[in-house]
Amino acid sequence: MKAGLGGITGNPVALGIALAILALLAFVPLLHNGYEENLFRGVLMFATLSLGWNIIGGYTGYVSFGNVVFFGLGAYTTAVMWQHAQVQNVAIDVVVAIVVAVLFAVVLGFPILRLKGHYFGIATLGIALATEEIIENIDWLGGGSGFTIRQVDAFWTYYVAMWCVCVASVLATYLIARSKLGYALVAIRENEEAAAVLGVDATKYKIIAWAISGAMAAAAGAVYAGANGFIDGPSAFAIDNNVFPIVMTILGGVGTVAGPVFGALILTAINETLWSHFPQIHTLFFGAVIVLVVLFLPRGVLWLFGVRNGWRSIVGSFGQYRV
Amino acid sequence: MDLLLQDLVNGVLAGGIFAVVALGFSLVWGIMNIINLAHGAFVMLGAYTAFVLFSAWNVDPFVSVPIAFVVLFALGYALQRFVLNVVVRAPILTTFLLTFGLALLIVNIVLLVFHGDIKGITTSYSGANFSLGPVTVAWTKLLTLGAALLITALMQLFLSVTKTGRAIRATAMDIGAAQLSGVRVAHLYAIVFGLGAGLAGAAGALISLSYSIQPSMGDPFVISAFVVCVLGGLGSVSGALVGGLVYGVVEAFGSQYVGTGVQDAVALVVLLIVLIVRPTGIMGRAAA
Repeated sequence: MKAGLGGITGNPVALGIALAILALLAFVPLLHNGYEENLFRGVLMFATLSLGWNIIGGYTGYVSFGNVVFFGLGAYTTAVMWQHAQVQNVAIDVVVAIVVAVLFAVVLGFPILRLKGHYFGIATLGIALATEEIIENIDWLGGGSGFTIRQVDAFWTYYVAMWCVCVASVLATYLIARSKLGYALVAIRENEEAAAVLGVDATKYKIIAWAISGAMAAAAGAVYAGANGFIDGPSAFAIDNNVFPIVMTILGGVGTVAGPVFGALILTAINETLWSHFPQIHTLFFGAVIVLVVLFLPRGVLWLFGVRNGWRSIVGSFGQYRV
Repeated sequence: MDLLLQDLVNGVLAGGIFAVVALGFSLVWGIMNIINLAHGAFVMLGAYTAFVLFSAWNVDPFVSVPIAFVVLFALGYALQRFVLNVVVRAPILTTFLLTFGLALLIVNIVLLVFHGDIKGITTSYSGANFSLGPVTVAWTKLLTLGAALLITALMQLFLSVTKTGRAIRATAMDIGAAQLSGVRVAHLYAIVFGLGAGLAGAAGALISLSYSIQPSMGDPFVISAFVVCVLGGLGSVSGALVGGLVYGVVEAFGSQYVGTGVQDAVALVVLLIVLIVRPTGIMGRAAA
C-alpha cells in the first residue's frame, strides 16, 4: 500500500506543494477578510486534526474513531484557563492543552492500546462519547450550558496560532516519520508480532504515537476555543471534528506527511462549494463524495503523484479489492 | 425494590430490539469484516416503511415487520452486490468510510423526502398496559419483545438448517474452503448484507410504535449494536440475544440511577470493562 506513495514520508513533490500552500496561507490575515480568515483557519484546524489522526491511524495502523476527545479536552483547557485562572494567552493555552492531552493519552493508553482493530476503534469512540457526557454533567466545567470566552487578543492572533500549530504538526510528522519512532510505528502497523520479536517495544511506541496524535488535536482545540469564543459539549466534541479528519486523511493519502494537508484543503473546498450552491442537499452530496472517493480513489490523492502509466493504472486500480 | 424490578423488566423489554439490531450488525461484521455504519440508517428506513404503510393503508406495524424485512433485504442485497463488493477486501477503514458515506446519503434522502419533523404511529392498543404485581408492563413493548425473540429464533433456524445458512457459516469459518465447495462469494456476501439490512429494517418497524420517527433516529443504534456484539461475542445468534438483553438492562439501570444524560457513558464504561477483561464477549469463542 505504501509503495506507490513514495516511502515513509510520502511523495517529496507532494510535500513541497503542501509546504508551499501552507506558506501562502500565512498571508491570509493580510486580506483583512473575516470570511476568508474563518475559512482558512478551518482548513488549518482540520489539517492539524488530520495530521494527528494520521499518526495513530495512518502510521501506526490503529484506527481511532475518537480523536475528537483530545480536541475537546484542548478546547475545554482554554475555557477553564480563562474561567477559573483568568489566563488568556493562546500560547499558554496550547502548551497546557498538550500536557493535558498527553497525560490523558498515557493513562488511558495502557488499557486501550491492548485492543486491536475494530475493538480499539470503538473503545476510542466510547471514550469520546463518555468524556463529553461526563464533562457536560460537571458544573465546574460549564455543565450543559458551556463557557463563553471573552477575546482579549486581536482576532488574527488565533489565525496565526492555528497556522503555527498546523505547520508544527507537519514538521513533527516529517521528523517522526524519518526517525526511529516512525519506522517502529510502521513496523507495528505492518506486523505487530514481528515488530515485537525484532525488539520494538510495541506498547511504549503505541502510547507515544497516541499521545502525539492527541497533542496535535488538543493544540488545535485550544486555539479553536479562543477563536470561537464559546465552548460547550456539542461544539467541542462535534462529530464533524471526529469524522472529517479520517475522511480527509484517506482522501489525501494515509501514512504520508502531505496527505492530510491535501485532504483538508480538497474536502473543505468541496464542502464550501456544495454549501454555497446547494445548501439544502449539501450533506447528501457530501455522502456521495465520500462514496465516490472510497470506490475510485481508495489510496488517496497522493497516490496520483506516483502513478507511472497515467490513466491506465488509475482505471486499472478500480475494483482491485473486489471479491 | 419495586423500582429495581421495574427497571429490570423495562431493560429486558427494550433488550429484544437491541438484540435484533445487533444480530444483523454481527452477521455483516463477522462474515465480511465490515463495520456497517449505515446500520442505523436501515433501522430508520424500517421505521419509515412501517410509517408509510400505516398512514397510507392503515397497516398495523406488526404486519409491516416482514414487509420492512423484505424491502430492506432488497436494498441491502443491491448495495453489497453493486457497491460494497467492489472494495470488500480493502483494509477495514475503506468499508468503514464507505458505509459512513452511504449512511449520510440515505439519511439525507429521507430528510429530503419526508422532511425533518418528528412522526409517530398511534394504534388502538398504544398505551395499553397491565400490572404484574408491582411491575407495569406496556402491551406494545411485550409484543415487541415477543416478535424480537421470534425473529431471533427464525434467524438461528435459517442459519443452521437451510443450505444458504450453512454456506454463510462455512464462509465465516474458511472462505477459501467455502469457495472450493462451490459457494458464490459475491452473491453470498450480498445475501448476508441483505439479511443484516433486513433485520435492521424489521427492528425499525418494531420500534415505530414506541420511538419517535425522524431521519436521525437510527444513529444511537450503531453504537448499541457494536456494544452488544462485543458484549455477546461476535458472530453468534445466542451472543447477540444475551448481549442485547444485558445491554437493555444496563441502559435502563444507567438512566435510572446515574441520570438520563449519562446512560451512553454507563453503557460505554461497561463496554470498556468487557473489552479489557473478556475481549471475546460473554458468549464468545476463544479466538476473536
